[in-house]
Amino acid sequence: MADHLAAESVGDYADAVLAVARAERAAGEVESELARFAAALRVSTELQSALADPVIDVERRMRICDDLLAGGAHKATKAVVSMVIAAGRGGELAGIIDAVIDRAAAGRNRRVARVRSAVELSADQKARLASAIKASSGIDVEIHALVDPGVVGGIVTEIGDDVIDGSVRSRLQQMRSDLG
Amino acid sequence: MAATNSRRPRRHAARLLASAALVVSATLLATAAPAMAAGETIGGCVLEKAKEAEKEHGSLQALKDGPEEVLEDFEDDLEGCVEAPSPILPEIDEIIWGSAAFAILFVFMAWKGFPAVRRAMDARSEKIQADLDAADTAKAEAMTTKSQYEAQLAEAKTAAAAIIDEARVQADQLRQDLQARAEADIAEQRTRAAADIESSRLQAIDDLRGDVASIAVGAAERVVGASLDAEVHRSLIDGYIDEVAGSRGNG
Repeated sequence: MADHLAAESVGDYADAVLAVARAERAAGEVESELARFAAALRVSTELQSALADPVIDVERRMRICDDLLAGGAHKATKAVVSMVIAAGRGGELAGIIDAVIDRAAAGRNRRVARVRSAVELSADQKARLASAIKASSGIDVEIHALVDPGVVGGIVTEIGDDVIDGSVRSRLQQMRSDLG
Repeated sequence: MAATNSRRPRRHAARLLASAALVVSATLLATAAPAMAAGETIGGCVLEKAKEAEKEHGSLQALKDGPEEVLEDFEDDLEGCVEAPSPILPEIDEIIWGSAAFAILFVFMAWKGFPAVRRAMDARSEKIQADLDAADTAKAEAMTTKSQYEAQLAEAKTAAAAIIDEARVQADQLRQDLQARAEADIAEQRTRAAADIESSRLQAIDDLRGDVASIAVGAAERVVGASLDAEVHRSLIDGYIDEVAGSRGNG
């Protein structure tokens, strides 16, 4: 019940963010900036803890977000991040951004494939991966790539709740479980 | 009890005879008196002897002046006046009066005294007999009570012995049960301890195996990570894409 309510509130915040971005006529720019912001959040657990910590002053947490977004970010992007932080939803910011990206992609009749790799994917690799997913499952996807050294090698693709793990990390873990 | 009742009449008769003899003796002693009390006193005897001597010799002076032998006879006669009568045979009149008094007293006693005495003695005898019977009854009751007490005591001793035996049996049984239980507990604890030791050993082996695997995988991860160059990454990514593309129909 609590999870359902949390997911519902995340969806509501995502709709609000999208509404602000569309009102500012900067939906694509806000979406891409939020995606980069979410990628930065995912690779830093300290940053996630700081944004979710209620002991830290709200202004200080907003200032941290401004520093991450840098000066070139769209004012709508800064506004929506500040709104979420001020509302005390800093711990759910990554989930809200994911919901924003998913809903924006859904608006284009596509789904989001979050891809983690040890090295950055080239544009050609992203296009071929999207084509491969389309060919295998018939789903049009938008690739959101994230560099994660923990993958060691290979790729991990997440489409919603589906995971296609082709990482060296998972193979090493499989070897470890076999040894253990 | 029957022998006691048969001796009772003879005892009464003996008592009656003894009472009669006592009454006769008392009567004889009460009615017996010196000879002079039976109508002739010493003075009268002396006076009569003096009159006889005066009649025979004319006067007492003539007797005194007479021959010595006559005077001595007179003196013997006087001494005869003061001699005591027979202690056994009273005078005739005393016997008569005494017999009459005795008869009267005997009749009176037979009429009034003896029945009263007999009733008193019978009452006394009956009371004594009743007391004896009561004593016998009490003794019998006491013996019965004693027998009952002895029986109860014996029964109590028997019961106590049975209880002691039963308690001893129960104590032995309890001791055996406790001993068996203690042995079972010891065996169970021993089995459990052995199982714990075996489990700990297996856990230690698993932990060691896990640690070794972690170390080995960590080392392999470092080796693999260091050996993956750009070309290998590209190859892994391309292989992944081809694999996803080739999984058509599987997913």
